[in-house]
Amino acid sequence: MSASITSRDWSEVTDQSLPESLGSGGGGIHLHNPLVGWKAFSATFKVMFVEEFRENLDFAKKRRILLFPLLVALVTMIATIGLQFLVGEGAAQGADSLSDSKSFSWGDMRIALHLPLLLFSLGMGSFAFLGREKVLARTGTKNYILASPALQPLTNPTAHFAYYMKDLSYYVMLILTPVITGMGVGILLESFTNVSTPLEFSSLPRTWIAMVVTLAQGLAFSFIASSLWLLGGWVSRITPLAVIGLGTTIGLGIIPREYFLWGLATQQPDGILLAVPALAISVLLAWIASQLILDDFEVKVVSKKEIFLPAWNRLGFLGNGPLRLLVAKEAVDLVRSGSLKKMTVSYSVPLVVLLLMAWLVDFAEAPIPINLLSYAPFLGFFGFNFYSWLTALDSPEHMNGLPLSVPQLIRAKVTVYFLATTWISVIFLCLMAWKLDEWAVLPVGLIVMIANSIYIVCLTAFLMGLAPNKAIFDAKIMTWFWIGTVIPLLSLFLLSFTQGDVSFYENWADQVGDRGLQAEAVDFDNAQMAAGFKGILWVSVGLVGASIILMKLLDRKWGRAEFNN
Amino acid sequence: MSANEESLVVAKDLGKRYGDFVALHPLNVKVSSGEFFGVFGPNGAGKSTFIKLLTGQLRPSIGAVEVLGIDAAKDPQKLKANIGIVPESESPPSYLTPSEFLQFVGKLRGIDDLDNKVEHWMDWFGLQEKSDTMCKDLSKGQRQKVMLASAFIHEPRLLFLDEPFANLDPIYQRKCRQWLLDMVAGGGTIFLCSHVLEMAERMCNRMAIINNGKVLAAGTVKGLKESESETLEDVFIRLVGHSIQEAERLSDEGVNEEE
Repeated sequence: MSASITSRDWSEVTDQSLPESLGSGGGGIHLHNPLVGWKAFSATFKVMFVEEFRENLDFAKKRRILLFPLLVALVTMIATIGLQFLVGEGAAQGADSLSDSKSFSWGDMRIALHLPLLLFSLGMGSFAFLGREKVLARTGTKNYILASPALQPLTNPTAHFAYYMKDLSYYVMLILTPVITGMGVGILLESFTNVSTPLEFSSLPRTWIAMVVTLAQGLAFSFIASSLWLLGGWVSRITPLAVIGLGTTIGLGIIPREYFLWGLATQQPDGILLAVPALAISVLLAWIASQLILDDFEVKVVSKKEIFLPAWNRLGFLGNGPLRLLVAKEAVDLVRSGSLKKMTVSYSVPLVVLLLMAWLVDFAEAPIPINLLSYAPFLGFFGFNFYSWLTALDSPEHMNGLPLSVPQLIRAKVTVYFLATTWISVIFLCLMAWKLDEWAVLPVGLIVMIANSIYIVCLTAFLMGLAPNKAIFDAKIMTWFWIGTVIPLLSLFLLSFTQGDVSFYENWADQVGDRGLQAEAVDFDNAQMAAGFKGILWVSVGLVGASIILMKLLDRKWGRAEFNN
Repeated sequence: MSANEESLVVAKDLGKRYGDFVALHPLNVKVSSGEFFGVFGPNGAGKSTFIKLLTGQLRPSIGAVEVLGIDAAKDPQKLKANIGIVPESESPPSYLTPSEFLQFVGKLRGIDDLDNKVEHWMDWFGLQEKSDTMCKDLSKGQRQKVMLASAFIHEPRLLFLDEPFANLDPIYQRKCRQWLLDMVAGGGTIFLCSHVLEMAERMCNRMAIINNGKVLAAGTVKGLKESESETLEDVFIRLVGHSIQEAERLSDEGVNEEE
């Protein structure tokens, strides 16, 4: 018998019924049974863990990776010592103590621990999207085990479930455990020095378990949301409806927040046993999410209309050099990858949180004189996220053969960041000005926000180049990033307190109306305010100057680097 | 029907389309044990789509495919455990070393004596010196060797190869060619897709030429030639060139009609 092959036109197939069996056989071959269940999961989990570690190691040196947990522990230790100034119990020990009602309660502190962790895990857990991206990119220069089911006898659900467990374990090992260790060291310092902390050793295991619960829950929620979304049709609407429903019920106080923040519930007195069902439900949700992922390895061929040249034409203000071309290319990537919406949402979420915080602090009449200028620097701080997304849009390796350099591409990405996000930050600052009723300080706030925004992204780009996602586990880079951001951020934050009562501006505006050039603020410490005001402006100018220098130094740091992310 | 005569690959009206674009017109295929069957065609002819449909990487829009008695659409995992696939452009996972990747794929297939087999294939492909190097740091040719080793490690009796030697040096091309010919001589079966016609003349029992998702001709290499003096390249140009001219003519007519 010899091979045969024939084909006919699509329209010629009228009878689409197929027999039960086509009659092929194994030719006497013994058939293997692929690994399934626990064994398949276990084999996949192990290599995924190795892969994750190697990927991070690839960017940072081994020493720096090992230093990262130490850095986390150190920061947590400092925070642990500082706790006494934040919570009522500690504050009450001081001679000039504030009353308990004017400081944060333990409940507030627990929320401050779990809510950001939940937001972080929600941001990191959309594994269904990630898996799809890896499958689509598997013929590129990088390939990952998550894309293995396309060729190997492994199912997508097993690979994705292993990925969830791997990420959970990795974050517990590299972030949560060092956090708890740092707290432990902070408590230990009490025995040797005269610093004191209200935390106790006995609370650490509970805190660790509670944080693991929050992390597991956030990753699972995000995972199942992304799986449902990928199924399409009416099922994909479940995710936004569930988010709106849950947000509304919690916001209106219909259900207590502990019902949603399972880690918070676990950390309540007598709540530790809740960790068992909470973790079990999280893992179960992740397993269900993985089962919803289809073994679909199709790469759809989609035709798109030309947008590169129209984008390039609109960017005339960037001159005729490579910057204009690269910005146009990045803009096309941004639109075609479908990431623009996702990135805008991911950029806006922290800003919404900040807006809520502004409302809460205003509502709670906090003792610290926080005002619009205090928030402005933080709005720029979230540029790190957006820049990270931008660097992950496309593999830049193809540029190694083009007359381009890495600094040119970095500058283009910074430009795209600035063009794509500034309007969002401006809207949010205006919303805050409206919410806090501080319109008068808005122009200065805008200057601070824009200066800070440019500086943070330039610093990120300078330190981390085209691979900021890998750099987050590099202790050396993160130390410099920490120093480079905390010092200006803290100085702006503290200087903003001198402008505590914005009547200074309002007075000035009123008096300009009444007294023209003779106008001056009354009833306030004009000298202190003016000095603070000048300080804010000088820091902002300094940040813009630093940004320019960082962009100039890009050539020295990254000039000989190859295009690789 | 004896085991040797049994068809290992059978497809009935197997077709694939994306919206209005037809990637592969309905095909009927039968490939028996002990055959070296080649599918040749120009870039974008539908060869890779064809191989992906046969190996369960893609779901057909129409028709069905059965390989080794396994429905490729219904149980792709079992199918992949029992065949070897060498894709055209896919690389091994970037952050694993070659031996780690071979261990991984071997375990997924439940292979016995895996350590020795990994060592054997690492040695066979001259990768021992690179055993601690991550795949992303290997050359293209070395990555191709890892993919070939991952398809050979469980010693399948049926291999699907898509441009398997594109990045290999001549020494390993020859070595692999000989191994594949020995495999077929021993009763193994190979399904090959390529545009390198030399491979058809050197290796294939039978071949097909496809373009625009349709089979233009099929048979033995000798049978496809119209005369003794005609080369396979002449055959290819005669068939595919005509097909392209035909497509261009139809396209022009379409434009003219619209005008």
